[in-house]
Amino acid sequence: MNGVEQALIGGVSGGTAILLPALGELISERAGVINLGTEGAMLAGALGAYAMTESSGVIWYGIIAGVLAGAVVGLAHSWITVRRGGDQIASGLLLWFLALGVTSVFGTDYVGTAITPLSNIAIPGLHSIPWIGAILFDQNVLVYAGYVLVAVIWFVFYRTRVGLILRATGERPEVVAATGGKPQLVQIVAVTIGACLGGLGGAQLSIGYVGNWFNNMTSGYGFVAVAVVLFAAWRPMRVLGGAYLFGIVLAAASVLQAHGVSVNQYLLDALPYLVTLLALALFARRGRSETPEALTRSLSRSG
Amino acid sequence: MTATPVNESSVRGTDVDQLPPEQPVGPEVPGAASRIRLGPGSRYTLISTLGYVTSLAIFGVLVAVKGAEPISVYHTIISSTLLNGDALQQTVLRAIPIGLAALAVAVPARAGLINVGGEGQLIMGAVAATGIGVAIGAAVPGALSWVAMCVGGALAGAMWAALSGVLRTWLGASEAVTTLLLNFIANDVMLYLIYQAWKDPHGSGQPQSRPLAHAAQLPKMFGSQLNIGVLIALVVVAATWFLLQRTGWGFQLRVVGGNIEAARRAGLRVNSLLLSSMAVGGALAGLGGALNLAGVETQLRPDITVTFGYVAFLASFLGRHQPVKVVGAALLFSAVALSGNGLQITDGLDGTIVDILLALIVAVPLIMAKYRRRAA
Repeated sequence: MNGVEQALIGGVSGGTAILLPALGELISERAGVINLGTEGAMLAGALGAYAMTESSGVIWYGIIAGVLAGAVVGLAHSWITVRRGGDQIASGLLLWFLALGVTSVFGTDYVGTAITPLSNIAIPGLHSIPWIGAILFDQNVLVYAGYVLVAVIWFVFYRTRVGLILRATGERPEVVAATGGKPQLVQIVAVTIGACLGGLGGAQLSIGYVGNWFNNMTSGYGFVAVAVVLFAAWRPMRVLGGAYLFGIVLAAASVLQAHGVSVNQYLLDALPYLVTLLALALFARRGRSETPEALTRSLSRSG
Repeated sequence: MTATPVNESSVRGTDVDQLPPEQPVGPEVPGAASRIRLGPGSRYTLISTLGYVTSLAIFGVLVAVKGAEPISVYHTIISSTLLNGDALQQTVLRAIPIGLAALAVAVPARAGLINVGGEGQLIMGAVAATGIGVAIGAAVPGALSWVAMCVGGALAGAMWAALSGVLRTWLGASEAVTTLLLNFIANDVMLYLIYQAWKDPHGSGQPQSRPLAHAAQLPKMFGSQLNIGVLIALVVVAATWFLLQRTGWGFQLRVVGGNIEAARRAGLRVNSLLLSSMAVGGALAGLGGALNLAGVETQLRPDITVTFGYVAFLASFLGRHQPVKVVGAALLFSAVALSGNGLQITDGLDGTIVDILLALIVAVPLIMAKYRRRAA
């Protein structure tokens, strides 16, 4: 296995921890609600999944717990912002803070323990395709969930009535209401489903990738996911590309380090945020006209 | 008064199928005077008070779950931050970085910008102050290095924030997201400096910079723990209030924040206003970081800001981005953040539990947003 292949394998696996929350954020923002609480949903999902797996020994229960923990954050965010009219940015930060406090208070018992992370499942046939097989089809089940979700979300967005209503809600909720739809309900459902995916992304970190839990283990990945959605101009396929690009940069840097190329550790740590910032700078203007209109309104004020 | 957007109800498109309109606001109808009615202001006060009590009760349940005694926990929070002189002084000192970083949120918020980068701006201020203080502190008179550190810190913060301002005005990237990302980058810059480039050779392996020379540290006043940074911060708060409330610049910011399109058509130089509001905000936070370093910390350490920048965002929100209220909220949050130490020592709780309390406090005005706008 050469270095490039190693970086790509790690990139797809690590990128999934960004892809899942970013897809969640995509659903939420397409309905017109920005959710910085995605970082909180990830933290809650990471701990929820880890704690459940550790105590029950069944990794599937862990995945479900991760999703449910994310859902709690999503319900809270949608209740505050949609039903109560609270500021979206402030609510997201607040829920992140709440999740940070709750997970560090209740997560202390799990620091220093370890579980066996999700095992890889080689897909029969596909995994023996030269090169691509090892990268894409010998991964864990959450990585595969990422592939499926991108396709499903694309299909729902652009080929179904539900997707049309969702996108319309993100543009002009008043129009949806005038045609007999329920924009608030759409937003609540979208934000909650989105945060479930945030929780799943957290699970990919704790039980999919590393197999342990430590305080603040998401370290800003949820915010990066929000940024990925922005520079991907709210398109599912570009979100996929952005998230994997992010994962590959991370993995490539550590592969380089392992091969004796000296890379400064702190530059390495800052790299994901630098790459994201750069991508935002390059693509933000192009994506601006595609911003869901209701989202523009909520982003241009605070307080 | 905050600058309220002109089209308040259409801002949140979801308001269409809102609750039915409440009773009319304004002068009471003469015939209805026989029943006691609460005006929107006092109703807001009443309901939000209930909200805060509920928040405290939820926190009480939480600490009970973690095996602590709620009454004792509240006693610790108050006694470890307010009831004795030393503790009170610590609360005030910690309120300097939080308060200035909160104003760094409030100033751009006037122009409708969302600065979530207080953390990074505080860090860059502290980094610049350390660089300057360590370099010249032992060689020049104290007053000169204090001024140099403050100015350097403010400039560093301003530049860090202006970066997001430029990304927003030139390239259209959302400042809410870029300021957040820059926080993480600032933190890595700081870690690089204290673990490698600026590492104290006499620090017995600890990750920290060289300490400031004694002359370069801000002097304490009247034999108390308080240093002259408190005075500097007070002057800056007053100046910020004046700038926002009594100058043409402050007024123009509010116009931009109210309706950016109208401001543009009225001939205001919108981009330079947006950019300058970010830079001024960043300068305030940078100064906060510098004062905290020169007056309290005296050397750069990894956990020097410990989420103060985010606490500051919540404080600014609680204070509705109005300078005086924001500073009040910063004092309150400074006390809450500080009480984490006491809770850890006295009640055996994890210190980060105070993050939960902060979040529960801020949840009240968020949940009450509709009433709050009406009462404002």
